[in-house]
Amino acid sequence: MSPLWLLIIILVLAVLGFMFGRTRALASVDDHRKLHSRPNYYGANVAMLAFVPAILLLGVWLVVQPIVVNSMVSHIIPETSYEDAGALNLIMSDVQRVADGLDTAIEQGALTANEARTLGADSTDIRDLLAGVGVALGSNVEPEVLTAAQRYRSLSSTGAWFMTGVILLISLAGFFYAYRQTSGALRARNRVETGILWLLIAAATVAILTTIGIVLSLFFNTVEFFRLYPAREFFTLLEWAPSFSGRGGASKLGIIPLLWGTFYISLVALLVAVPIGLFSAVYLSEYASKRVRSYAKPLLEVLAGIPTIVYGLFALLTVGPILMTVFGDDGLGWMGGGRAVMTAGVTMGVMLIPFVSSLSDDIINAVPQAMRDGSYGLGATQSETVRKVILPAALPGIVGAILLAASRAIGETMIVVLGAGAAARLSLNPFEAMTTVTAKIVSQLTGDSDFASPEALVAFALGMTLFVVTLGLNVLALYIVRKYREQYE
Amino acid sequence: MTDATQPTARSKTSLYATDARTKRRNAAEKRFRVYGIVAIATGLVFLVVLLASIVWNGIPAFTQTFVTIQVELPEEKLDKSGERDLEVMKKVSTFGYAPLIDNALAATLEANGIDSPFSKNKDLRKIMSASAAAQVRDAVLANPEIVGTTQEFRLLTSSRVDGYLKGRVTRDSIARDKNLDAEHLDIVDQLRDLGVVVKTFNWDFILGADASESRPESAGLGVSMIGSFFMMLVVLALSLPIGVAASIYLEEFATQNRFTDLVEVNISNLAAVPSIVFGILGLAVFIQFAHLPSSAPLVGGLVLTLMTLPTIIISTRASLKAVPPSIREAALGVGASKMQTVFHHVLPLAMPGILTGTIIGLAQALGETAPLLLIGMVGFIASDAPDTFVDGFLSPNSAMPAQIYEWAKRADPAYYERAWGGIIILLVFLMAMNILAIMLRRRFERRW
Amino acid sequence: MKDNSEGRKLVDQMDLKFEARDVQVFYGDNHAIKDVNVDILDNTVTAFIGPSGCGKTTFLRALNRMNDTIPSCRVEGDIKLDGEDINHPSVDPVQLRAKVGMVFQKPNPFPKSIYDNIAYGPRIHGLAKNKAELDDIVEQSLRRGALWDEVKDRLQESGTGLSGGQQQRLCIARAVATEPEVLLMDEPCSALDPIATAQVEELIDELKQNFSVVIVTHSMQQAARVSQKTAFFHLGNLVEYGDTDHIFTNPQDPRTESYITGRIG
Repeated sequence: MSPLWLLIIILVLAVLGFMFGRTRALASVDDHRKLHSRPNYYGANVAMLAFVPAILLLGVWLVVQPIVVNSMVSHIIPETSYEDAGALNLIMSDVQRVADGLDTAIEQGALTANEARTLGADSTDIRDLLAGVGVALGSNVEPEVLTAAQRYRSLSSTGAWFMTGVILLISLAGFFYAYRQTSGALRARNRVETGILWLLIAAATVAILTTIGIVLSLFFNTVEFFRLYPAREFFTLLEWAPSFSGRGGASKLGIIPLLWGTFYISLVALLVAVPIGLFSAVYLSEYASKRVRSYAKPLLEVLAGIPTIVYGLFALLTVGPILMTVFGDDGLGWMGGGRAVMTAGVTMGVMLIPFVSSLSDDIINAVPQAMRDGSYGLGATQSETVRKVILPAALPGIVGAILLAASRAIGETMIVVLGAGAAARLSLNPFEAMTTVTAKIVSQLTGDSDFASPEALVAFALGMTLFVVTLGLNVLALYIVRKYREQYE
Repeated sequence: MTDATQPTARSKTSLYATDARTKRRNAAEKRFRVYGIVAIATGLVFLVVLLASIVWNGIPAFTQTFVTIQVELPEEKLDKSGERDLEVMKKVSTFGYAPLIDNALAATLEANGIDSPFSKNKDLRKIMSASAAAQVRDAVLANPEIVGTTQEFRLLTSSRVDGYLKGRVTRDSIARDKNLDAEHLDIVDQLRDLGVVVKTFNWDFILGADASESRPESAGLGVSMIGSFFMMLVVLALSLPIGVAASIYLEEFATQNRFTDLVEVNISNLAAVPSIVFGILGLAVFIQFAHLPSSAPLVGGLVLTLMTLPTIIISTRASLKAVPPSIREAALGVGASKMQTVFHHVLPLAMPGILTGTIIGLAQALGETAPLLLIGMVGFIASDAPDTFVDGFLSPNSAMPAQIYEWAKRADPAYYERAWGGIIILLVFLMAMNILAIMLRRRFERRW
Repeated sequence: MKDNSEGRKLVDQMDLKFEARDVQVFYGDNHAIKDVNVDILDNTVTAFIGPSGCGKTTFLRALNRMNDTIPSCRVEGDIKLDGEDINHPSVDPVQLRAKVGMVFQKPNPFPKSIYDNIAYGPRIHGLAKNKAELDDIVEQSLRRGALWDEVKDRLQESGTGLSGGQQQRLCIARAVATEPEVLLMDEPCSALDPIATAQVEELIDELKQNFSVVIVTHSMQQAARVSQKTAFFHLGNLVEYGDTDHIFTNPQDPRTESYITGRIG
């Protein structure tokens, strides 16, 4: 039975449990006020026990069964037909495709269930048969693949039957267990609330699971990548030139040019964003009247709400041409094309202005008025107070804000994909096109390369590097703020 | 004890005379103020340039050039058997319909006394969009009775002609272009004077589907809007409950222990992880491991949920914190359990803030592009809107920002105009959502 | 208790530092200070006393134009320092505040080293030609603030690491570093424990030898201990001004008597 139907059945059981539980609770006392909890809680208690264990098991089963079946089937494949784990994976995916194809064929009536089971590779041309129902196979079906596929199907279907049985059993067991317990004295509310509490905890765990998911998905694929391509070369090679021929013999995949592009563009972005953002924050919090502040601050915040794809297009189609008119062939002749470090850097800087400005604003406002009073009392002008008292006091926070902005700049994708070009280059000239780590992740994973090749897997290694760097910057920012922050009473 | 020495003799200076040093300091003060104003002004100038750019470049995308002509639909060409059998008529492809349009165009020219320098009617075809033939064919197949009659059609012109009317294409630029000649432009000029060729508002840009690279004139954002919509449904349905549940646990129930610390650290880290890493997560876990259909709005929605979760948790926690403890104490005081206190009293009071935060989170998610690129929601031309509601989640589609990116990548400059236009639509959505959030906040905000 | 008869004679011969006539201070429409006339004499400690909200701090802040930092505040009337109107348009408050120093209620040392805290004022006003001179100023100020012996070996440590009493003495030392002529103190001991309070009061007594001191205080006992002249404020008016002894033993105005005996405030 398909999981969807199973889900519906246990849902129905839960609803029935609710109704029955509630009725039974009410029936067990003469006055409904003698119940420990409100009647709905009794119903909910039964529903909970009918639904939750069953659905948890369903989830686990759906995840575990394919893994188990996969490993059982792969043991059937004779070891002679593959050289390494990569080839075995390819064979296994073929097996799955054939198995799915046979299922489709049965669904569409091209085969009966019996025929599918007794099929032999010599009897009919499987490839054509499956093509007829819309399943494309890359090559002819080998006998061991066919056997494996049939075994796969039979194991899967047995597993499915077992799953149905076990889960229905568990659901019914839960139902009856809770039902029997239902009586006026049962502290149903406490039970239900404990259940809800666990649900809340599970929700909170999603955050941890997400991080684990990120780390695992990066880690395993990076390890796979380093099996195919030497790690030392990845980290030390000064060239990035993936080849498009099969197994990466001639590919040069060095991260250093990409890191250089990333840092250079981020530097330009910070050079734009930090002065503008900081001075804006200082002016708005120390000098501006309430009216000016109430207009200027939200307007600057608008820059923060604009999606990065818009900035990317802005870089490509507006900033690039503007810079070209000044620095390009018609101007100073420094710039070859619209896409360059300057283009992407300036645009990214504009995007980061509100980020720096609002973080700095918070930090500056946190400096107590007593500091300012003390400084004015000594006869300092406003700018002297800002420069010599407030900013030094706010410095750890501001440094933290700059680091966070840098982290954002490093992780930015759309602006550099559209505005910085695809050429991996190690150059000091900011008017040349230079690509970044993020742009390459996109290009390597959206190209047509086969997912097991180093050219595609390198994206995971790049992603791992990016994750570690941005995480490191964020942790550093937190550390600096925490360590040097003045404790104002 | 102090050393009570006499004060060092200092010249008595008058208050009325500003000494030189003070003058310098005041000058420095003025300069400092100017820096601040310049900084703010620069930021605002960037904003203005950005918005002006968007509006100036994007508005033309909402208009398109059409030609209104009478097309004769001869039976001998379209339905030789005369039986109006759809299966048979379908065999006539757009190749068969295109000459009909050429002829119609030629007839229009003749009827209006315009000299055509072309010997063959086929040479006129460059004026029309390649989709014009498909449009006529669809009309015939939908309504076979019109075969044998002459019908008026409003057909798309080619993107070069459209560009000419919008000023993007000039007579100089087509000198090297094989898609159009100067003679065509002459004809277009004359037709325009007659009102046969008009540039009008084009709903299909907003509602239609994307088109192939060679046909920017028929590309529209509509289908990817549907993809975005389904994605947002997934995000809303998942991130709101999970986010609120997690926040309730952290704010109301969690004790100070290692698990809680771990969760909090994770949330603040995830808020700072670059969006592309989420894309990698989506690719590795949802597509490669769980074998969910790639390019499906469901997967996009799942990835964006994980991205939006930290935002929603942070704003929900702030809303919960803002509810004063006296409310909780009052509820506990009448004998409510902690769970009941939270769900019956605290949560409803915090709801406006939570909704505001959710809308803002959704707005951020709507504009995200990078993760969608990795799970395949781009580079795909969905030809039709999905058939059923479930299909909406599972069948491959694009999303608005991804579609805009795709258009920006295409070689034809006519697609740039469409990208800008798409940005206008996207920004309109975002603005609407933000205004809704602000209105909600203003209307329901309570001052404790 | 000191023998104040000698003190009184000395006081009467002191120079006039501040002369305030018909001073009004408005916060927006709120008339906070009404028709105040008072003299602040040199080398004298003048105390401003009165119940909460009576305007003593507001008037104090008018003396060094600290109210300028509040946009809605408006000052009318005459306040003359050494004969010069401090509210005259050509007067730069920055220069005024170098002459009239202020110590606040809650100690507010800058998050800098002790040395830099003291050196801040002299640096911005350019009072020292070189490092040696600056060192001298710092040392002298710390001595004047009765803090030198305690911190002379740790001048580079942060000012915020000192105890409450030490911090306030640091702020006093910082205020005297610019060689002001008048020192304004706004309830300087209210955030301090009794021992620190005693140290500061002793300090004030010595400071009056070189400066004119105006101290706002909530404590009548403190006013009686440290000041020679006392001004009693009530609801924005200066009710009575005179010798401290006189005010506390033989007040003229019934409101003064009510406050002193504890019936109001």
